[in-house]
Amino acid sequence: MRTTFELAWRLLRGGGRRGLLGSLLTMAAVAVSTGLLLFAVGGNHAFMQRADADAWRHPSAAKGAATAVEALSTDYVRGRQLTVVDLAALDAKAPVPPGMARFPKPGETWVSPALADLMRALPADQLANRFPGGKPAGTLADDALVHPDELVAVVGRSADDPAVTAARSADLADVSATPTKINSYATGNVSSVPQIYQALAAIASVLMVVPLLVFGGAAARLTVARRDRRLAALRLVGATPGQVVMITVVEAVLTALAGAVAGALLYAPAVPALARITIGGGGWFAADLWPPLPWLAGVLAAVPLLVGVSAVVGLRRVVVSPLGVARRQTPPGMKAVRLLVFVAIVVAFGLVGGSLGGLREVGLVVLLAFLALAFLGINLVGPWVVALIGRIAAGTARKPARLLAGRRLLDDPRAAWRTVAGVALTGFVAGFLSLLNPSAMSQERPADRLELVVPHARSAAVAEQVKRLAGLPATIKISETGGRERNDAVTATVPGGEAAVDKARTALTGVVPGKVATTPADADIAAGYLMADLRTGAMIVLAVSFLIAVTSAGVTGASAVLDRRQTYAMLRLAGTPLGVLDRARRQEVLIPLAVMGGGSVLTGLFFALPFAAGFGAAGAVTLLAFVVLGFAGIMGASALSRPLLRAVTADPAPRPD
Amino acid sequence: MSEIVLAGSGLVKRFGPTVALNGVDLAVGRAETVAIMGPSGSGKSTLLHCLAGIVRPDAGAVHLLGQRIDDLGERRRSALRRTRFGFVFQHGELLPELPAEENVALPLMLGGTARRAAVAAARTWFGPLGLAGMEGRRPGELSGGQAQRVAIARALATRPAVVFADEPTGALDQQTGHDTMRLLVEATRHNDASLVVVTHDPNVAAWCDRTVEVRDGRLLAPSGAA
Repeated sequence: MRTTFELAWRLLRGGGRRGLLGSLLTMAAVAVSTGLLLFAVGGNHAFMQRADADAWRHPSAAKGAATAVEALSTDYVRGRQLTVVDLAALDAKAPVPPGMARFPKPGETWVSPALADLMRALPADQLANRFPGGKPAGTLADDALVHPDELVAVVGRSADDPAVTAARSADLADVSATPTKINSYATGNVSSVPQIYQALAAIASVLMVVPLLVFGGAAARLTVARRDRRLAALRLVGATPGQVVMITVVEAVLTALAGAVAGALLYAPAVPALARITIGGGGWFAADLWPPLPWLAGVLAAVPLLVGVSAVVGLRRVVVSPLGVARRQTPPGMKAVRLLVFVAIVVAFGLVGGSLGGLREVGLVVLLAFLALAFLGINLVGPWVVALIGRIAAGTARKPARLLAGRRLLDDPRAAWRTVAGVALTGFVAGFLSLLNPSAMSQERPADRLELVVPHARSAAVAEQVKRLAGLPATIKISETGGRERNDAVTATVPGGEAAVDKARTALTGVVPGKVATTPADADIAAGYLMADLRTGAMIVLAVSFLIAVTSAGVTGASAVLDRRQTYAMLRLAGTPLGVLDRARRQEVLIPLAVMGGGSVLTGLFFALPFAAGFGAAGAVTLLAFVVLGFAGIMGASALSRPLLRAVTADPAPRPD
Repeated sequence: MSEIVLAGSGLVKRFGPTVALNGVDLAVGRAETVAIMGPSGSGKSTLLHCLAGIVRPDAGAVHLLGQRIDDLGERRRSALRRTRFGFVFQHGELLPELPAEENVALPLMLGGTARRAAVAAARTWFGPLGLAGMEGRRPGELSGGQAQRVAIARALATRPAVVFADEPTGALDQQTGHDTMRLLVEATRHNDASLVVVTHDPNVAAWCDRTVEVRDGRLLAPSGAA
């Protein structure tokens, strides 16, 4: 065993420039994969932390003797949510809330840093006067907050204060909670919003992780493929297949481990930038995006393990037949049934797509199924199209570079497709997203009509108070909301923009204990966050798949050069200009990219058509960014292997014989 | 000897501490066939690479038809190799994706010949080399001897002044190697081209007008240049 390790280490170190280059390629691929994997893991961790930070505000009834009363309500300022937690101690053992040094005394208000800033920035009669004391008694630490920009106030009350005795409305379960006797704060997942986000984060992770694993595995196998000659030599001198496998696996795992550590080191400096991504109305605490140590250790162990397994899979062919070199023959043509399947999927969607919007949940499931099918369909038709354009390019070529590119596409359309598949499939997502315009979907509801829901018996008195406190004429809409008790809505329209609205809100705070004056637009804020976040999430998935696609194109391109280095060297030796080889290599990638990237974008547009909410500027920008980045990324990745091509052809006479 | 086509004089080439060529003079006449023999590491391939403008000698000079070529830049030497020289390697080194006729046409297309004309010219080589009917086959569908004959056609397609062959029969069995050498020698002669063959096989060398021996970077027998 020790000998195997030593031999693997020796081979790794003594592999020469080309061997080293191969190892570096694998390392780079693994590093990118690990970095992105850590992002996925860290993201999920951060959502868990958010759920935890949200939990304590939702009171859970004390099982034993109660020591405090907790209530939750949500106010609004300048179009942002403002979370207000009312706390009253029942005895000296009242639990200290997260992020606070002690339990708040009656009349004290502790605020989050963002709220403290806003209280300083706005006149007191627009915000600060809503709280007892009018200015903060303390600052809430990060533990108490979902995100750094969150507006949170914790208000200390006496146990008989109406704020901790008046019931809250039951139909606002996620943003308010009726006063409840507690003896500790809730933990874990208690409200539905964090759960939705965690589920979405999990879906996004799957979307990112699957291509990552495929890409990482491919990188591992490519390295193994280049080693077949040396492995055959090892077997010739008497190494058993088991030893050969062991040596290769040790080598691959060592390389992958180095790559994984490099990936973790790459991820660390990216965290501050990632923390600025706005989800749920705010950015992130950097510490939350950094996975906890056991998770990090898990990733650092799992990645080399996976690479090792991929290496074994890739090695099986070599070990089974050490001398078997595949002879190139005219490849069988791609079956046209691939095209038929793709067309069938598109036509089927064209038939039912229009009616999906009305089917709600079922429609969503069917849509997701169709999206998955479209992905598969594009992946299926990709090689067929590549072979077709290869045939056309080779048939019509007049210059050697085009001829070489076309013949190569025709020779192995699957390999050519693999190089561009990532970007092409990303094109589908970009096309699909470009037609989904959240701003076009959200309705504009009045933001200047304040509404207070009060018991019928008090509505007239409240209307009078509104008139007196806010100086506004109020109307009473008698309606029956809620189940048992009869409630009326007291409504006042506030002229003069959001400053005036916030002034009125402040004036009306506490008029009806436990009730907050809200506008119809306030109710859309959370939904607006969700729409914006869905888009942000989709863009992140897009960016990540894009990064994978470009890296994968770079690695595939470089390993293609390495695999064909002998042919390239001989062509150079016979006087073929480097430019011709390079042009051929570029066209080999660009022609299928242009055709399939364009085709995928069109397919994505087609699939989004039934839900099109107007092709907004954002959609156009998404598409344009995809096209520009797609070509630039692939060109860049391809240009990276140009020095490699130069290196393998620079010295066409390697033997001093 | 007839007119001298290719001449190397005083060629010295070092690879680090190893002296691969240590003052070699060799001249090749028009349509002459010369075999360079020697054991492994003797410097015979380095001599071929110096003569063909693939590597530049550290000292000495190479002349093609009276014009010095070893001091040209890489681009000019590359163009020279493409137009004035032909190459046959041990393993053929045909492009696996290209049908045989396009492999032969490629050097012509690289030289600027239109594709249709290049392919038409390439096809004319298949009959004389016993490859009739193989035009559309890909290298993987050819036997070792057939692939080597396609490589010969490719080397001669540009009507070069000199064809360089490095162990052209090294990967072939004796009979096929024999046939391949006969075709190589006949075809180059027929085209009025000179042939320089590097080999360690006396049977291959026997096909040539003249054999020179390289040992430790020097020619053993006098080169007999005119």
